[in-house]
Amino acid sequence: MPESWAQLSFEELFALPARDVEEAQQGAFALRFERLRPEIEALDKLATRQGFTAGRSVEESIPVFFDHRVLKSYPLSLIENGQYDRLTKWLQRLTTHDLVGIQLDGVHSLDSWIDRLEAHEMIVGHSTGTTGKLSFVPRSRTEWPAWSAAYFEMLRALTGVDFRKVQIPYFTAGYRSGHQMMVKMQKLFAEASEGGDANRYPLYESSISADLLSLMGRIRAAEDRGELDQLQIDPRLLEERQTLIRANANREQDMEAWFTKLAEEFRGRRVRIGGGFADLTRLALKAEQDGFHCEFAPGSILIAGGGMKGYRDAPPDWEERVKDFLGIERMHSHYGMSENMGQAPQCEAGFFHFFPYTRPVLLDEDFVALPRTGVQTGRLALFDFLAQTYWGGFISGDRVTVHWDGDCRCGWPNPRIDRQIVRFSELAGVEDDKLTCAGTVKAYSDFMDYVGAI
Amino acid sequence: MPVSTGPADTAVVDIPFLIRGRIVEPGEDAVEFGGREGARFRTPNPIEYASQLTLVDPSEMRDLYETPVDHIIDFLVQLGPRLTLDENPMLYAAFRLALEAGELTEPVLRAVYDDFHYQFSRTRLDGMAEKTVGKAFLDGWVERGVPGRSLLRIRAVGTRNLHIIAGNVPITAALTIVRSALCKCDCLIKAPSNDPFTAAAIVRSMIDLDPEHPVTRHFAVAYWKGGDEAVERQVIRPSRIEKLTAWGGMASMVHIQKYLVPGIELIAMNPKLSISVVGHEALASTDAMGEAARGIAAMAGHMNQTACSSTRVVYVECSTDESDLERLEALGHAVYRAFADLPLSISTAPRRRDPELDGELGAVAIDEDYYRVIGDTSFGGVVVSLTAEEAVEFADRLTNRIVNLVPVPDIRRVVRWVNEETQTVGIYPERLRELLRDELALHGVQRTLPIDTHLRTDPPGSDPDQRIGIPHDGMEPMRRMVRWVLDESTDLR
Repeated sequence: MPESWAQLSFEELFALPARDVEEAQQGAFALRFERLRPEIEALDKLATRQGFTAGRSVEESIPVFFDHRVLKSYPLSLIENGQYDRLTKWLQRLTTHDLVGIQLDGVHSLDSWIDRLEAHEMIVGHSTGTTGKLSFVPRSRTEWPAWSAAYFEMLRALTGVDFRKVQIPYFTAGYRSGHQMMVKMQKLFAEASEGGDANRYPLYESSISADLLSLMGRIRAAEDRGELDQLQIDPRLLEERQTLIRANANREQDMEAWFTKLAEEFRGRRVRIGGGFADLTRLALKAEQDGFHCEFAPGSILIAGGGMKGYRDAPPDWEERVKDFLGIERMHSHYGMSENMGQAPQCEAGFFHFFPYTRPVLLDEDFVALPRTGVQTGRLALFDFLAQTYWGGFISGDRVTVHWDGDCRCGWPNPRIDRQIVRFSELAGVEDDKLTCAGTVKAYSDFMDYVGAI
Repeated sequence: MPVSTGPADTAVVDIPFLIRGRIVEPGEDAVEFGGREGARFRTPNPIEYASQLTLVDPSEMRDLYETPVDHIIDFLVQLGPRLTLDENPMLYAAFRLALEAGELTEPVLRAVYDDFHYQFSRTRLDGMAEKTVGKAFLDGWVERGVPGRSLLRIRAVGTRNLHIIAGNVPITAALTIVRSALCKCDCLIKAPSNDPFTAAAIVRSMIDLDPEHPVTRHFAVAYWKGGDEAVERQVIRPSRIEKLTAWGGMASMVHIQKYLVPGIELIAMNPKLSISVVGHEALASTDAMGEAARGIAAMAGHMNQTACSSTRVVYVECSTDESDLERLEALGHAVYRAFADLPLSISTAPRRRDPELDGELGAVAIDEDYYRVIGDTSFGGVVVSLTAEEAVEFADRLTNRIVNLVPVPDIRRVVRWVNEETQTVGIYPERLRELLRDELALHGVQRTLPIDTHLRTDPPGSDPDQRIGIPHDGMEPMRRMVRWVLDESTDLR
């Protein structure tokens, strides 16, 4: 069964015969749906609304897949007004765990609400949500062993190193702690690594606040109206916000100082560096100017991701320059999303390969599954067999190209995903040159930002 | 996304470039453009003609400058009867293409084209020129102050304009042409892919009528893909374009941003959103509820909710008591039923579903504590918020005749959710319009009207011409398209 595959090494996972994988996935999916439907209210409601019955294949079941909107369908006023009992009731619809029985006395913020849930077997992560509401992924301790194993096997597939056993100092340009899913994962996985979280060197030692992220949009709107003082929120949040704004303004300098210090301190040692393409490129270019080179020990590891968003003038040869600057020969990458536990390592040939406890399904414009043959481009949906206590069917906002046939020269099995991955939200209105007089709030504020900048 | 080439039998439509009376048909080096929904068209290669699209020497505007505005009106009035779908094959082709490429359904789109004859009627053209810029200012130097004692003269001088027009409702093409001609402007129109042919069809008819007429000689129409830098770098220069009218949102603004320098004035037809406001009366009786529901359906449904004036969110004066929320839901059902009763020329079921929006609706539909969802994007529908003052997060993406009813216990607080992006506010009943209009105006709203305006005809006795030359999105574009020039002297003449 796919859930038991979590115990396998990546070599064993990639050696599973395709036919066995197909059969096991389809069988496990049917069982999972039958088991979870009565226990997860949101799944039951969705299935009822879609007139959906059991016994269908994964591909036929896309109508009962969730997307990020199901994970944030609560009214924002619940958070604004601190109605954490109602928020708990809302989250209860997404998990088999008993949440409504949890005492909420003393819970006075979103962060403390999540802390309280986590004291009761949950591992709840939220999205960044800088403009809109936060979405919540209702993961739990039940998933932890498989989630953790999947992560470390993914890293081992990339680097050959088992970080559960080998201690390598880890630099990451993020926060020490917080409930935002990426931050949370870094902390949890660092704790499970040899050397523990003390072996991790984040850019900021502080925590990123869920309350702040969830109300950022509201605070900004209130500020625009000159009504900041009327907003019923903790003054502490406003201070945190100022800190965050200052930190963003100084981010480049802070990062340079942070990284230079670490580069000196760990000279000659084997390190692991994580970060975004844009940040690393900036660091490399600045270092070239200053004539500075890193001298880490051979075998140091670089794992980078993200896009060049907001960084228009990146040189075409940025990747080479980053590697030169760090003195590391290969830049590794992996692809995943916080709603799905399995992450796909990138192979030598540049493709992402999911382990078989994640089943990718590609969708056309009408959200219908595309054939699993040839090369197809569409919206990526995933079924996560590692999700035991919540529904693993998720439709992403990413447009990807999947190769279903033909062997990858890396030797790992199909399907393989092309490295060109775009968010649909970034494509809208750009590609089709269709102009209309009807606006969207987002488009409008972008427009005003622009007009204001002339 | 899979490459959609549309049905195999979809013909590729050839669209010429029209350059000051000259017709350039797509030839051997033609470029094909494909709308996502199957509308395909070919045009001459834009890069080959980019430098010819604009007018380099302003002296060449002299012919138009010296043409009396009445002669321009005569010419446009002659053009009007040629702009009917039945008799103008090019306009018909434009209509078919807009139908394929855009979001409007046939009856709604046909009504838009049927309105062209009115756009080119003498009363309307004369009124537009006179009530906006003023015919005297267009034709000569108008003395300031007491006649005979003036040292100042003012003239409204036509400028070289680029219009990057919107295509969701093709009336934009006709309106742009009329405004530009009346203002004696030299006009280059960049067509949109969702209506690539209408502007060209009108100007092509102009060439048929008289290729040498000064009006014809100052229109150019072309298509290039917005953002094509090689073309735009040649076109958008302060030595060639003085005023740039840009419709559409950020996607189009990003393209032109880099060309905007002092010397090019931006006339921004910002994207707009519209709302409706409904008083507690609508929940008090079945009759009132029906009346309000028909009005909401019309405000949201007209132009199939694709226009800037289409209502997306409706704020309803309503407490969050259970019984009030039940009545709010009943209003939702009444709106849903009212969609079916709208005249076809105002609104029809949408052309195609919107799977994205259906996803949004599906996500909130399973959350019965906070929302009710009635209908879907194949026909239209209503999402009722059950939390006070909280519109759905996707309110700005509502389309396909989906409206969001939001309960607001104190309706005066509605001004919190309007700003300069709010074009039109439909209001029920009338007492509420009078109560709210001043505050709404102060907060940026550009138009308030009774909620059932689209379903009524003007009462007998009202001035039929009063709608001519009214402001557009809170401004007067024709007054901005001209240059207001002062001529001064020191002695009395």
